[in-house]
Amino acid sequence: MHVARNLALCTKDCLCLFVCPTGATDTETGQIDFAKCLDGCRLCVDACPSNALYIVYDSYPVKPKKHDDVLSALDALLESKVMQESIADSLKEKSLIAKAIALSNRILAEDCARESRYMLPQGEGTKELLRSIKEETPTIVEKLLETL
Amino acid sequence: MEKVEHSPKAMSAIYSNAAKAAEKQMRFEEATLFSDLSAHFDGKSEKKSATSIDEVKPFITEDLTSLYKEAEALALKEGERGVLRCTTWGKKVTAIHKSLLDRYEKQGDALLEGNNVYVCEACGFINVSPAVPQICPICKAPASRFLQIK
Repeated sequence: MHVARNLALCTKDCLCLFVCPTGATDTETGQIDFAKCLDGCRLCVDACPSNALYIVYDSYPVKPKKHDDVLSALDALLESKVMQESIADSLKEKSLIAKAIALSNRILAEDCARESRYMLPQGEGTKELLRSIKEETPTIVEKLLETL
Repeated sequence: MEKVEHSPKAMSAIYSNAAKAAEKQMRFEEATLFSDLSAHFDGKSEKKSATSIDEVKPFITEDLTSLYKEAEALALKEGERGVLRCTTWGKKVTAIHKSLLDRYEKQGDALLEGNNVYVCEACGFINVSPAVPQICPICKAPASRFLQIK
């Protein structure tokens, strides 16, 4: 695990610079140098007066599988939302409202995907789906399955 | 795991969601790869040529009268609070689509006069107003999560 900085919250009090044993918190971009950050150290997280630093984990728990009926209901909603997105897409050059409807439906569709099987990029649902498209997009899928 | 068939556009949404999740985990390389997959499936999806945005209305009606209701009942039955959260926000955002399109049908572009259009990137809430909302009325995300549509 390593720490990351929420730049919108950081108040530049720099307590993280004082406590960091490796200098990972002191960078020209303002973001933490993930390569230098010590696994599990979290001194900066506790020292920050603005709660701008947080832990990013390397691994995530396996989620309990949801009931098939729930998954089917979410799949039906996902398809309805992307259908509406497609309709709005075809009008988005002409109308701000259509553009907003398209984006909003994409966000709603993503939420259905998240709650069904695909919350985590490294979750089994996402990996299974990646394996199913391996022939179609071999390079991307191989890279993802290797690094996830 | 059971075999599930998703349309290309649904695949695009699944992978754009994965790209966002990877980005939140600061896994930028994976985020880019997922975005590439999302674009690939978006390119494969059937292109519509709608003549009016009102063509989404029958789908909105179906979502509100049946699909969200079914999903909500099943979420309650199975104790799936996350799914219930998704349907609670989703049906509210969808009801707002309906009222927005009804107003747009009556007023046309006069609806936009003196107003901007904002979308909450957390839940999809659409707001037509002169200034960005301070908080999302649906999901309570802060002003910084709103995107102005231009």
